[in-house]
Amino acid sequence: MSAERLTDRVWGAIIERARAEGANPLVRHVLEACTEEVGAAGCALSMVGATGAHEPIVAVGEHCEELEELQFTLGQGPGVDAAVDDGMVLATDLAHERARRRWPVFAPAAAARGLRALFAFPVAAGAARVGILDVYRREPGDLGAADLATALAFADAMLVVVLDERGLVRSGTDQSRIGVLPERRAEVHQAAGMVSVQLGVGVSEALVRLRAYAYAHDRRLAEVAADVVARRLRFAPDRRGMTDTTSGNGMIDAPPNSDHDQPEGGA
Amino acid sequence: MSTTDRRVRETFVELADTLVDDYDVLGFLDLLADRVVELLDVDACGVVLVDHHGTLNLVAASTEETRLLELSQLQNSEGPCLDAFRTGRAMSLDDLSVDGDGRWPQFAPAARDAGFAAVHALPMRLREAVIGAMNLFSTRTGRLADESLALGQAMADVATIGILHERTIKHQEVVVGQLQSALDSRILVEQAKGVLAERLAISVDDAFALLRGHARSTNSKLREVAGAVVDGTITQLGHA
Repeated sequence: MSAERLTDRVWGAIIERARAEGANPLVRHVLEACTEEVGAAGCALSMVGATGAHEPIVAVGEHCEELEELQFTLGQGPGVDAAVDDGMVLATDLAHERARRRWPVFAPAAAARGLRALFAFPVAAGAARVGILDVYRREPGDLGAADLATALAFADAMLVVVLDERGLVRSGTDQSRIGVLPERRAEVHQAAGMVSVQLGVGVSEALVRLRAYAYAHDRRLAEVAADVVARRLRFAPDRRGMTDTTSGNGMIDAPPNSDHDQPEGGA
Repeated sequence: MSTTDRRVRETFVELADTLVDDYDVLGFLDLLADRVVELLDVDACGVVLVDHHGTLNLVAASTEETRLLELSQLQNSEGPCLDAFRTGRAMSLDDLSVDGDGRWPQFAPAARDAGFAAVHALPMRLREAVIGAMNLFSTRTGRLADESLALGQAMADVATIGILHERTIKHQEVVVGQLQSALDSRILVEQAKGVLAERLAISVDDAFALLRGHARSTNSKLREVAGAVVDGTITQLGHA
């Protein structure tokens, strides 16, 4: 599947649901679209809270919310493992002996509710870790190559939606405005690393700020990232503790009344 | 035995030694790219892997120069890597100034601007599936000898095995999982480059050299060093 088609299909499905409600794309829309596109029984997103503990946030599909809460109450399950191992966990048969050995309370509970397979995907990019996307299915068996790629693409979209919610980016339902993270991603992530130091925040937060800046200035994230890496653009906290950006190579403090609309020099 | 023959043998032994459980994928590919440059007498080598979007991503390079990154990213639209990836066959252009622009109107001028005169790409194949490509660049024109191409393909095959851990992978999911892991590790490295570049007021390329130097001198995984730099566990790095 080409890069264009999968991303477009995924975002198209998300946006269609958002549009139907006259809303911006929300976590719930991503979960609903994913459920339909991969033929799942339901999907859920659990997120990392401030203390580092996982909490279930949103779930769609029968029994899914209950099973999400069970995983995190028990500290046991494919989603929990995916968070700990930092990699996807594909449980193809929760009624199988191997699953019962690995998740002795969770696996039978899920199987008893008619959910025989659970595929857990980190919603993350490197150190920017936002949570886990759990995809539940009634039938046991492999996800299959196409559905696996689709689920991964939904995990990518989920990262963008969550970051945008944090950064108050209202990209709306115009698909052309949604700059997907995979674009020129090396530079985007280098910029995130730099901004995390400039602002004294984590990498996830740095990505939020970069996207919010790009949105506020109607620029593409890739271009903003290029400016940061080339040191044409710096992010600095201002005296009031809010973020500000200055351009140029110097460590220039922005004037006290500046805001995101401050014009920048250079490109 | 010629120097080259000996170096080839030493290289394969070296690479085989690193193919153990739970080893450092990125460090391995890094080493491989370095050895390819030495053994094939080219000037730069990059390893690109495909992700679930079908995008080709640079995961290791002999030189961590930004120009190689640029050239890799361009090749998602056109270029030898894209051709090798799609056809599963080696692609070469022995002189970029002859018909380069016709074949790759964006990539060829960019490669020449970067100082390269010839390019080659070898597919990274596991049976029918192509998971990426190994990109070779020369600053001089001319074809690669058949033995060199064969050696290069053998090294590309070693790279594939190094990533996928075994020759006979039955489940597509396992392949995808391992590719995801390599690609995500690379993202972490990019983030760490940014963190270091900002902290030490150096270029991202110099930051990478520090990361790699520290990983090698402390016998650690590149991914782990990158993670520790980002979360602040490591603040002092050994020299490159």
